[in-house]
Amino acid sequence: MKENQNSKRVQKLHDRLNEAQNYVNIERARYFTESFQKTEGEAINVRFARALLHTVRNMSLHIEEDQLFAGQIGGPERYGVLYPELDACFFGDLRAVLSDRSVATFELTEEDRAYLSETVAPFWAGKTYYEDFAGRLPEELLKLTYEPSDTKKSRFLINETQSMNSATQWVHDYAIGLTRGFASLKGEAEEELKGLKADADQKTKDFLLASVIVCEAVMTFAERYSKEAERLAAEEKDDRRKEELAVIARNLKKVPAEPAETFYEALQSQFIMQMFSRLEQKTSGTISNGRMDQYLYPYYKKDLEEGRLTPEQADELLSCLWLAMAKFRDVYVSPAGGAFSDGYAHWEAVTIGGQTKEGFDATNDLTYLFLKNKQRLPLDFPDLAVRVHANTPERLLLEIANTIKVGSGHPKLLNDEEIIPVNLSKGATFAEANDYAVSGCTETRMPSRETWTSKGPSINLAAVVELTLRNGRVEKYGDELLTLETGDASSFSSWDSFYEAFKTQLRYYIKKTCDQIRLVHHVREGHFATPFGSVLHELCREQKRDLHSQWIEGGLNFAFFDMVGYASTVDSLAAVKRIVFEEKRVTLPELVSALNADFEGQEVLRRRLMRAPKYGNNDAYADSIGREIDRIAGEVSAAEAKKEHDHFYIDIRYVPASANVPMGKVIGALPDGRKRGLPLSDGTSAAQGADEKGPTAVLLSNYYSKNPSVNNRAARLLNLKFTPAAVAGEAGSKRLAELIRCWRDLKLWHVQFNVIDQETLLDAKAHPENYRGLIVRVAGYSAYFVNLSDELQDDIISRTSNTEVA
Amino acid sequence: MAIKGTIFNIQHFSINDGPGIRTVVFCKGCPLRCRWCANPESQSFSPELSWIGKECIGCRACVESLPELSCRFEGERLCFDREKVVSLEKVDGVCPTGALSLIGRRVTVDEVLSEVEADQKFYERSEGGLTVSGGEPMAQPEFTLALLSEAKNRSIHRTMETCGMGASGVMEEAAKYLDVLYFDVKLHDPQKHKEWTGAGNERILDNLFLARRVRPDLTIRVRTPVIPGVNDNEEELREIHRIALDLGAEHELLKYHRLGASKYEGLGRDYPMGEVKLSEERFQELKSSIFVTGVL
Repeated sequence: MKENQNSKRVQKLHDRLNEAQNYVNIERARYFTESFQKTEGEAINVRFARALLHTVRNMSLHIEEDQLFAGQIGGPERYGVLYPELDACFFGDLRAVLSDRSVATFELTEEDRAYLSETVAPFWAGKTYYEDFAGRLPEELLKLTYEPSDTKKSRFLINETQSMNSATQWVHDYAIGLTRGFASLKGEAEEELKGLKADADQKTKDFLLASVIVCEAVMTFAERYSKEAERLAAEEKDDRRKEELAVIARNLKKVPAEPAETFYEALQSQFIMQMFSRLEQKTSGTISNGRMDQYLYPYYKKDLEEGRLTPEQADELLSCLWLAMAKFRDVYVSPAGGAFSDGYAHWEAVTIGGQTKEGFDATNDLTYLFLKNKQRLPLDFPDLAVRVHANTPERLLLEIANTIKVGSGHPKLLNDEEIIPVNLSKGATFAEANDYAVSGCTETRMPSRETWTSKGPSINLAAVVELTLRNGRVEKYGDELLTLETGDASSFSSWDSFYEAFKTQLRYYIKKTCDQIRLVHHVREGHFATPFGSVLHELCREQKRDLHSQWIEGGLNFAFFDMVGYASTVDSLAAVKRIVFEEKRVTLPELVSALNADFEGQEVLRRRLMRAPKYGNNDAYADSIGREIDRIAGEVSAAEAKKEHDHFYIDIRYVPASANVPMGKVIGALPDGRKRGLPLSDGTSAAQGADEKGPTAVLLSNYYSKNPSVNNRAARLLNLKFTPAAVAGEAGSKRLAELIRCWRDLKLWHVQFNVIDQETLLDAKAHPENYRGLIVRVAGYSAYFVNLSDELQDDIISRTSNTEVA
Repeated sequence: MAIKGTIFNIQHFSINDGPGIRTVVFCKGCPLRCRWCANPESQSFSPELSWIGKECIGCRACVESLPELSCRFEGERLCFDREKVVSLEKVDGVCPTGALSLIGRRVTVDEVLSEVEADQKFYERSEGGLTVSGGEPMAQPEFTLALLSEAKNRSIHRTMETCGMGASGVMEEAAKYLDVLYFDVKLHDPQKHKEWTGAGNERILDNLFLARRVRPDLTIRVRTPVIPGVNDNEEELREIHRIALDLGAEHELLKYHRLGASKYEGLGRDYPMGEVKLSEERFQELKSSIFVTGVL
């Protein structure tokens, strides 16, 4: 195989993937429902384990032609599966929901639609997590969350996202499954179950029983696939394929029941684990893959040493694995879920690089192989992330730069120099902190130590500007009082009094956000269990508690919420300060009238507002406001968290997924000059087009607007976009590597790069047919540009592109 | 009193004006009048008004608030008295979009360096720093020398981009403070040089040799913009290349571009180069002829 060429097999699989349609597979919903009908009264984790066993015994199997891995939970096209325990309340007219919406559509056959609405939905009516949660919201929180008259409709203010997923992103301790095998794990649980005293507590018994059943289930899943491969091998005419199928059958006869011994077996075992996880529960953005270059390296090294494997073969296996993973699509059933995951969002993060548990540089040959593989294969799977730290070798930084330049937005970078100290200060050991893996978009997990599984609310920060300007109300809901009355626009005589009102609104809003998190946390364990995830978690096995339990002794709980529209909010406040209170160009009530009119006839005012200081230009005027917002949010949520538990943190994050688009839709015109309904700014990036001083200023604004002394801080998503000309050639790679080093020194959590020119994007929007393979990064995941909605396409096009002309 | 200079821009994240990631300080005013100049706003030593039509929303705020300029619209085009002197604050506060703006401001060395130092982190990691450019920095000798010497005190890496036209004493002094010198040599032939830039190149070449004599260790890069109809021929470029080689300097050819054209419009001037273009093929051909075939 040549340096820059994929094998014929990989090309064929890739072509087929590009042509594939998206279907909903209802088998998981069907078999879970059948099983749950029979297990009423048993513990939730035992019910989940039994439902999984029932599902894998009955589900249909699909082994793709040319593919070297088996373990799909749907097919033969690209497929999504349904989780009725979560949101079957939307199953009534699911077809309309999934195929008619503008983004992330799925096909559903008439037969399946009928089955869902006639059999699945009625069983779950009144039992879903969604309904339980919505029913428990106190009035003052309800009106900030849903339409009070129809709780299926989000208001996109304090938007709960837990109902879109059973659990937040999760990273298994895959090494447990790879090195021990599930036969041994099952045996251990059986022994312990037998050894239990009669008066042992029920939760312990349930945990062990669920563990036994779920280990049996995952082995059954693999066994059935092994037999399927055997059957296909027997029918196969082509000798080469016959042999491949025989190998697949042999691998699956062994793993994941037994420990893996080769690189190929380890990958197959891992694939079974991740697919089984997806069957178990809806983990937002799909399950993360952990530090693959670390846990796979011993197998790779041994195979190479013993002459069983070449780097080229390893590369092909990895490509096949990504192509197999890519067949699964996350289905977001609720309209809010759909809006948050534009372009078939997925976050199956594969982490490479970083440091060993001991704290030394962890880069190895596989780290480079993953990057080279990404340069060759133009596929938006897997979501590749590299951990960067003070001792990351120059060679790796340059390889990262070269990969970024291929243009697909990969890899994203996470910063050990920020993340490890934060985790240490919250109670992790050095070994745990050094071993974190990227999970989801820009989040991280310490496998076997962290135990928080609830997804956090996504809050519309720009709404707080409206609440302040409109005395506790927002434009969209007219006279309805949503928060507190802090005074009419006419009542503020100074910037200070206005800023105080904003801070009062912000504190209330954050407090309500924390209330929502706590409610989610209390409701969660009644609906979800993850017996499989718990087996792959040392602490859960030790404590005999399901990972979804409210509190697990020794666990670290990092809840979070995301603030969306950060720069839009900061810029709006800075504009009010400058234009209204300093330059006195208009009064505040006049400004509100102009906002009401969406700046109609007020272009002069709008342009003045747009020229007020903006976040993203390393200007303390704006950045200090950002820092104050961050500080208050951290202070309120730290206090709220401590009310609940000592090892409980509510972290502040700035990760929008694509929520800045739907959240912008409910917000009227803003004082930063943004018109009604347009997208809000994303992550901690500058508002669209507001960064006039280039990437160094964006990085510095980011640095100066956070609070390094606060430890309930987490992911800050930052996008930097470059045109290819700015990073061309070897000099360009070096420049990117330099920029990465600066970002690392500034201790910023995350950064990702888009290397693309605006013309290309505009042309892609006009002629999607010519750009089916064009990948762009959208806040933490890469997607095909042509799959994105018009608004999101425009949003990406409008983000300032840093280009350099002579 | 603090030394002041007139600058028209400070540009962060510059990656083509010296090594690493740099901040470029553009001094206003230049003794040459190269007809292809891409920064016409850099030529005059005084602040001057610019009006960018596509930014204008026709709000007439200037007509009402700046009577001294006699602003008036002729169709969609704003006409005004370009010779009148107005303060920066006054213009900035009037135009809501910045379409009408005053180019050039008086700044102290300290003001400039505190903005330059904001990016210190990036210089450290990329071996970048400050680039003094223009206009012609040597045409504001007191300011430029103070800037370079203070930057040296503050451990900021220093590059100067110069057209070479300046007093020899200034060149000699500047060379002492520099880490890298980017030196434009546009034409070898003094007559043609005068014809196209308004001045002969004798003093320019003297300054180039002087810089080398004063600082045998200095990194010097001779830069030649390749301009169609001016120096886009092997003979001319080869002569310049020979000078660079003799001096132990790097030599870089810069391709002519038309990015400055709209700036002329903003300043109410005609673009002197008309429609001429330099094709990429021709540029590459010249490059390989000079660098690959060499001067022999």
